[in-house]
Amino acid sequence: MGPFRLYLKSTAMNMRIRMQYPLSFLMQTLAQLVMEGGELLAVILIVDRFDTLDRWTGGDLYFFFGMMSVTFYLTEFLGRGVTGTFPSIVRSGQLDTLLLRPRGVLTQVLCSDADPRRIVCIAVGIAALCMGSAASRVRWTFLKALALGEAILCGMLLTLGLFLIEAVFCIFSVKSVELVNALTYGGRSACQYPVDIFPRPLRTLFTAAVPFALTLQIPAAYVLDKPLFPWPAWTVFVCPLSGAAVFFAMAAVFRRALKRYRSTGS
Amino acid sequence: MSYIEVRNLTKTFTVRKKREKGRLFREKTSVRALKDVSFDVEKGELVGYIGPNGAGKSTTVKILSGILTPDGGSVTVGGLVPWRDRKEHVRRIGVVFGQRTQLWWDVPIMDSFTLLREIYRLREADWKARLDELVQRLDLEKLLSVPLRQLSLGQRMRSEVCGSLLHRPDLLFLDEPTIGLDAVSKLSLRDFLKEENRLNKTTVLLTTHDMEDVAALCSRVMVLGHGSKLFDGELEELLSRYDTARIITVRYDGEVSLPALPEGCEARGEGGAFRVVYDPAAVKTAELLALLQDAGAIRELTARTQDTDRLIAKMYREMEL
Repeated sequence: MGPFRLYLKSTAMNMRIRMQYPLSFLMQTLAQLVMEGGELLAVILIVDRFDTLDRWTGGDLYFFFGMMSVTFYLTEFLGRGVTGTFPSIVRSGQLDTLLLRPRGVLTQVLCSDADPRRIVCIAVGIAALCMGSAASRVRWTFLKALALGEAILCGMLLTLGLFLIEAVFCIFSVKSVELVNALTYGGRSACQYPVDIFPRPLRTLFTAAVPFALTLQIPAAYVLDKPLFPWPAWTVFVCPLSGAAVFFAMAAVFRRALKRYRSTGS
Repeated sequence: MSYIEVRNLTKTFTVRKKREKGRLFREKTSVRALKDVSFDVEKGELVGYIGPNGAGKSTTVKILSGILTPDGGSVTVGGLVPWRDRKEHVRRIGVVFGQRTQLWWDVPIMDSFTLLREIYRLREADWKARLDELVQRLDLEKLLSVPLRQLSLGQRMRSEVCGSLLHRPDLLFLDEPTIGLDAVSKLSLRDFLKEENRLNKTTVLLTTHDMEDVAALCSRVMVLGHGSKLFDGELEELLSRYDTARIITVRYDGEVSLPALPEGCEARGEGGAFRVVYDPAAVKTAELLALLQDAGAIRELTARTQDTDRLIAKMYREMEL
């Protein structure tokens, strides 16, 4: 319970800091709404024009979109320290301070920031999930709800894991590496849509290397009763664990990288 | 076994040079920040760690506090290896950086102290008692509800010191703690540190460029240059090696002209005021004074040593730093 309690206390403080300038906060939140609302609008326009994309109906597409939005922006909301502030933590030398405290560095990085502006993006995602569920007439069961919950949780871990790649580069070069954004933000944009609409190389990338298909889309397809791959039913609950595996592997690499940290200035 | 044991410590950084024309990759060079540094510090000691910029002071402190991993040599602090037993080790140390804040910038400092209690898992009663004590000694009472960013530098340093001592560390690292502080803040911070060392037997390792800090606080001083330890002993001893010159300033009633002074004396000035620099080992002070007195009626005379900064500059020059 130790790290979790610290996380709650820190996050409460970070929220207070973010809310210190309410008008600015409101404007930025509005901007987020326009941005993510625009993304949803793009899907709505596609559905309006084509009705279906391969074997996926409009409702299905909303549902996939919602899965990604909720997962990605929950991660940005709660794990902003990893997804956003880490490069500046390294550059400002604040990482030294984290190393001087008797807590895990990754825990403290997660505790260092939270971004409540993302709430509107999460709301857009939830709206998309509801639209999709209604339009595709999903019959909810306990197992489906469980699969959804597991997928979002593992998807968040996967997202954190991908951002940790960038963090590891930062530790070595004290600069952020834009290339990694291709996996994080690129992965988010691409995997708003079911991967089987993509050509084979992309499909393989997002299944085997950056497993958004395994963590988010297999469970989503299961909820929609249209299995993504012709695999046995139990795989629905095992595949998402790949997202957690990516996170724990990257967390281990991160810890190793800290041993080679060089610090900045005096 | 000493409290801090450092043996043959080495650390090399790889630095990439600017890319030359026509080459695809940048050349790398290695900079040896620490070469074979060894020393011991006993519990309760106040040690000053000096040396010019880039000598390796900060690197030493960062290794001793567990931030950096060295390439070679061994370090134990209270039986722990800082970089290997990091969490256990940092619970027992406090670090203050003069140029960098460790508290939270945007919240009242009381909130920072509350979160530090959580981070160090301090018992409520212990934390409260210690906080009350430090707040009173550092005169922070009125500042507790003010965000850190609104404090003056002096107030901020006092807050930083408070934050670094809440968990009652056995060892305190101070990295240029008085940099940029006014005279009053400097003096009160020095007094506080002396008191902390006396009351709680806190071991203090101080890196600084301010020789007055060292003179006021440290009985022992280590000099580091180009990554090697060049001196380790009492400050007096260090100064006496370079402190050879004495300066006499003399002012006469009316204009006088100085007689020829003995070899080795350097006199400057005109009219009724002169400044004479000489080495007491080479020139007899009594002789010099007699000559000065014969020249006219002395209204005022002061004799002093060179100031410490000059001595240190001379020392660095002679050590070729």
